[in-house]
Amino acid sequence: MLEIRNLCAAYGGPDVLSSVTLEVKAGETVAVLGANTAGKTTLLRTISGLVARARGSVTFEGTELIGRPAHTIPALGLGHVPEGRHVFPRMTTLDNLKMGAFFHRGAGDIAQRIQRVFALFPRLEERQGQMAGSMSGGEQQMVSIGRALMGNPKLLLLDEPSHGLAPIVVDELHAAIGAINRQGVAVLLVEQNAVLALSVAHRGYVLEAGHVVLSGDAQALSADHGVRRAYLGV
Amino acid sequence: MRNLFSPSRAALLLFFLAAALLPLALDPRGHLIRVAAMVLLFAAMAQSWNIVGGLANQISLGHAAFFGLGAYTSTLLFLKLGVTPWIGMGVGAVVAGGAAALLSIPTFRLKGHYFALATLAFAEVMRVIANSLGDVTGGPVGLSIPFMGSQPALFAFRSVASYYWIILGLLVAVCAVFHLLASGAIGYRLRAVRENEAAAEVAGVDTFRVKLTASVISAALTAVCGTVFAQFTFFFDPDSIFSLSGISVRMAMIAIVGGLGTLGGPLVGALFLIPLEEVANAVLSSQAAGLSQFAFGVILIGAILIQPRGLMAYWLRTPWAKTRRAAATGA
Repeated sequence: MLEIRNLCAAYGGPDVLSSVTLEVKAGETVAVLGANTAGKTTLLRTISGLVARARGSVTFEGTELIGRPAHTIPALGLGHVPEGRHVFPRMTTLDNLKMGAFFHRGAGDIAQRIQRVFALFPRLEERQGQMAGSMSGGEQQMVSIGRALMGNPKLLLLDEPSHGLAPIVVDELHAAIGAINRQGVAVLLVEQNAVLALSVAHRGYVLEAGHVVLSGDAQALSADHGVRRAYLGV
Repeated sequence: MRNLFSPSRAALLLFFLAAALLPLALDPRGHLIRVAAMVLLFAAMAQSWNIVGGLANQISLGHAAFFGLGAYTSTLLFLKLGVTPWIGMGVGAVVAGGAAALLSIPTFRLKGHYFALATLAFAEVMRVIANSLGDVTGGPVGLSIPFMGSQPALFAFRSVASYYWIILGLLVAVCAVFHLLASGAIGYRLRAVRENEAAAEVAGVDTFRVKLTASVISAALTAVCGTVFAQFTFFFDPDSIFSLSGISVRMAMIAIVGGLGTLGGPLVGALFLIPLEEVANAVLSSQAAGLSQFAFGVILIGAILIQPRGLMAYWLRTPWAKTRRAAATGA
């Protein structure tokens, strides 16, 4: 579904990603692990067209994404939940969700999509009239994921969804990511929290200084000595 | 449809009705009607600015550039080629819109203060160019529009009331454009950009194009105001028409003091600031040099300190405005 071949990307200095090759198949959850500055966020931003200087190939269901304007990519079925919970702060939860369906085609059954998001995150239904900026970090993350789901994505890009959240909220999100995947949405999950990532993912890649240094089954990665020492803290 | 006659709309309608009837109560050649016309013209200018400053949240301090482009385009077309300012007004709008589009390419990556400084520099460059191209623009001497009697086809009238009504019509039109932009599909896009540009981009908003559209429309409307200003005053020079404090900052100030991004803000702001300036001048200018500007400045600072969200915040706090908002969000 998503095929990345020899992808290099830079912000104007040296390459942040060098020759990354990665694949997400339909229905899969794939985790990308790595320390800060490994290039995880850049990888997602490049897929979404937000990094200007990229070489190589990123195809989504056969469509080349490199060189495509960023705003045209969500309509292809690619939802991006950016790092740091970018909600629209002075809009209500409900309006934030509607914004996710507003800007591209096939936005017919909005009420149905809202119900789907509320089923995943019942807390958002309770808080639907509240300004998104006044909610807790976990709730904002739910709004951000919910907004991406409103575009009916086939593939969801999640950038550090657990970052800075309380453990109990992380568990809740973890369950939601699993549920989203079971609904048939493929997930590309970038995480520093490797325990969380490998417990929901089918496969994983380890990124170091812009290179893929390891990849394989989530279970195999969890058992890998190097991964355990570097990312799982055991 | 139950919001068709909301208190906000009623207040707006009342404002325009009162404004339309005002000349009947004033001496058609007196000073007061000139002040009233200036209030409406500055309200229209501030509303044009409000499209970029309020809706797209790009604080421009260079809108005098578009104002001056409008004035120079229509006036030069009239003086050199005999083209009626009614057509010149449209040409000026196109020229200013084009200039805004060109300016957008390098400046839209800039945020906050840096965008403000870049626009400010653009207006200053226009001022310097107008001053130095003496052969075309008349240089620092400025341009005078000869008055050859009342000729509606040439945008020339003997009575101030005629200008007043044209300016009122312009204000209504600019307010209508603002309302359409704010409440239409582009309004949602602009709101998304204003709230969080990164989130807007991943939600599928072409942020560059949305800001560009707002900027071009805003500049074109500002240029129309420039033409009307030139016809109304019969004279302008580079330093007054491209003025930072007199035009650029004042447009922003009126919208901000009135209420950034609101439809009523520029109206309330102009109604408050322009007469205040007049009164400060009339009362204090004979006392000591600079005293009236000083008093005006102090009052401005006070207004912003007391109500940073603008005078419209007082209206939005009243029970009428609240019921309307509750109905709108509940729908």
